Amino acid sequence: MLKTDGVTIRFGGLVAVNKVSIHVRKGQITGLIGPNGAGKTTFFNCISGVYKPSEGHVVFDGKNIEGMRPHKVNAAGMARTYQVINLFRKMTVQENIMVGMHSRLKSNFWSDLLRLPNQRKEEKFVREETEKWMEFVGLQDMRDHEAGSLSYGKQRLLEIVRGLASEPKLILLDEPVAGMNSKEKEEFDALLRRILNLGVTILMIEHDMKLVMGVCDYVYCLEHGSLLAEGVPEVVQNNPDVIAAYLGGDE
Amino acid sequence: MRMLIQLIITGLALGGVYSLISMGYSLIYKASGLMTFAQGDILTVGAFLGLTFYRFLKLPYIVALLLTMAVAFIIGFLLEKGVIRKLLNKNVNAIYIVLATIAVSYIFQNGAQAIWSSKVEYFPSVFSTDSVAVLGVNVQPESLLCIGASMICMILLHFFMTKTRIGTSMRAAAMDSMAAESCGINVSLNTGITWGIAAGIAAIGGIFIGPMYGVYVTLGSKLGTKGFAGAVMGGYGNMYGAMVGGLLLGLLETLVAGYISSELRNLFAYIILIIFLFVKPTGIFNEQAIQDV
Amino acid sequence: MKNKKLSGNLLKCLVAVVVALLVPVLLGGSSYMCLVACFVTIYTISASGLDVLYGYSGQISMGHAAFYAIGGYGAGLLSEYLGIPLFISMFIAAAIAALIGALLAFPASKLKFHFLSLATIAFGEIIYQIVTNSPGRITGNYNGFFHSKLDIFGLKLDNNIKFYYFGLVCVVLFLIAKTMIVRSRTGRAFIAIRENTQAAEGMGVNVRKYKIIAFAVSAFFVAFAGSMYLGLVGYLHPDMYLQKQSVLFVTMMLFGGSASLAGPIIGAISIEILLEGLRTFEEYQMLIYGILLLIVIVAMPGGIVGAVKNIKAGILRRRAQKLDKEV
Repeated sequence: MLKTDGVTIRFGGLVAVNKVSIHVRKGQITGLIGPNGAGKTTFFNCISGVYKPSEGHVVFDGKNIEGMRPHKVNAAGMARTYQVINLFRKMTVQENIMVGMHSRLKSNFWSDLLRLPNQRKEEKFVREETEKWMEFVGLQDMRDHEAGSLSYGKQRLLEIVRGLASEPKLILLDEPVAGMNSKEKEEFDALLRRILNLGVTILMIEHDMKLVMGVCDYVYCLEHGSLLAEGVPEVVQNNPDVIAAYLGGDE
Repeated sequence: MRMLIQLIITGLALGGVYSLISMGYSLIYKASGLMTFAQGDILTVGAFLGLTFYRFLKLPYIVALLLTMAVAFIIGFLLEKGVIRKLLNKNVNAIYIVLATIAVSYIFQNGAQAIWSSKVEYFPSVFSTDSVAVLGVNVQPESLLCIGASMICMILLHFFMTKTRIGTSMRAAAMDSMAAESCGINVSLNTGITWGIAAGIAAIGGIFIGPMYGVYVTLGSKLGTKGFAGAVMGGYGNMYGAMVGGLLLGLLETLVAGYISSELRNLFAYIILIIFLFVKPTGIFNEQAIQDV
Repeated sequence: MKNKKLSGNLLKCLVAVVVALLVPVLLGGSSYMCLVACFVTIYTISASGLDVLYGYSGQISMGHAAFYAIGGYGAGLLSEYLGIPLFISMFIAAAIAALIGALLAFPASKLKFHFLSLATIAFGEIIYQIVTNSPGRITGNYNGFFHSKLDIFGLKLDNNIKFYYFGLVCVVLFLIAKTMIVRSRTGRAFIAIRENTQAAEGMGVNVRKYKIIAFAVSAFFVAFAGSMYLGLVGYLHPDMYLQKQSVLFVTMMLFGGSASLAGPIIGAISIEILLEGLRTFEEYQMLIYGILLLIVIVAMPGGIVGAVKNIKAGILRRRAQKLDKEV
């Protein structure tokens, strides 16, 4: 599904990500862990088109996508969420999801202005579709609330479902349970499973080890921008380098 | 050749005034990340104040200069404290701050008209002769004063910012206001002082340019916009860039007016501004403060 | 619930239209008052156009007087030199302005707020310089530009009441167009860009494309309004297109409240009436205007619509507190 090959990102003289090669397999949940400042989010930004890698390749669904603009990456079938919540705060829950569907829709400026029949049909479809997504995460009662007024955990859910609304092949989740309460966290396992059942592959940055070890099929660990370890969760968890990195990182 | 020297001297004189305005913009942007549109009309007020002190009250030139600077400093300081700070505390969109400075500029411009006059007022010459010879060319002594004085202002400002306690703490506050605050620097006071200094240097720009162009209510509004071009050329937010950008703009503009057509002077300045914004927004000094989104 | 809200809004619009239709009667047919009403229609379209740009897509322009000029002079020149009827050249001029707006937005869409405002100021000044020093003096430079008043295929709009009804039709059409644009995929993309550009791009919105569309639309609105001015007054002077005019558009948009249908209308009505009222103070007009403007900005950023919303929210909160206490 997604393969990176020796991806390196430099900012000036600083190497933020150093020759990282990962492989995300279709239908799996792949985890990306590592101490703070290891370059995980930078790596995500590179995959989703925010940064262009200084070296290396990103292959998504058989196509080279490095250097592609983020909106094109989204249209190619990759959705994402953000470490710092990036909702459209003054738009309602429903409108946020509508924007999430943007790349699936065909109406353009003229059909919007003139309300052509195709546009009307599409808008009806958009409303039905957003209902479905709101139900998917249980936000249907908050349809007309401004996104900024939701609780932190609900905002995370909305961000995920906004990403899913584009019907992606792959979704990148950047610390999805940060800020969720314990009940929401408990239900999160099940949500991930339901996302997989939709046929969406998941790549996830997460600090919550219990969650990572519980749901991930394969885990990569980054430290100082380089891959430190990879493997099934049990192997990575018991890798002495990973333990050292985490203990060192927590100081 | 004679024409060239003449043009260079008048160009640098005008450029010196642009520099004074541009430096104010850059100081304010560095200190508070904001843009003010009142600089030009503060220059107008400064010119009228200078006129009052020097021509009407017959005070010595240097006293008139210092008094004008002091009054303008207070105006700038109060503008920051009374309007800008209040709006920042309300967490408003940047547009309201921009609009507030424009409202203030209307007040200055039309207030000047109400208090002083709507005619072009003559600013008496400081010197006893009408012209001095430089490299065989006769020039207005005021142009030389303008060049010299704006250079001195720039140098003084440089020493103030780098060598004095207030200057250093102002730079610290501009770099990282949170850290500066925790080091015991009064950031709010510093921002106020910055706006005061910006107003002060704009106002003396008015006194310098007065004898060359006369003093009238719309004197500053055009200079204010041109000052933006100077600041952007140098790299918005960079004090030294603003000096260089302002001088360069004055020089180029005057050369265009002299050799091509005086009607193209303004058009040229605005085209330079828009080209820099589109092609090299970081300016000559590659100031990163203006970085694109 | 949704239908109820919708029909409520429709009712409000209908009431507004009926009141607007009665305006000349209410003003007692006074020609001067009707002229002011005509200006209100022109300014409503301008402020609404700017609202598409700032209120929805979050881009500022401090130089929209340039498009106002392109509309006015463009329509006038097309009709004067190419013999196209003024009514048709109004649309052509607005389309040209939209194209110029798009070309300007192409590089400008990269710039952050403050620098976008500088770029638009520079653009405004450039257009002003061209109008005052036009090649072959086709715009009449500082003497101004004269043109006969608007007639639509033989229907002469030779008094202010007739023009007012024409302006009203234009307002309704432009406001419908605005509503169609902002309540659609295009409009949602605008708002998404305003709210969070990075996320909008991540959701598949081609940010630059939509920023350009917003610029073009707003240029079309303002340019059309500019050409209406020519049709109404029959005379243009370069000093109508100083930066002051651009600021006036921004003020009208913000005073009523941006990103709304009613905001720019309220703004255009109140500011135009205020400015006309202040005329009695002659040379103090702009001084008083500046002071009032400053007071309003400091006292109620968010405009009238924002202030009303705040008051409503305050009442609701107090009611909720009361209920809490009772329980």
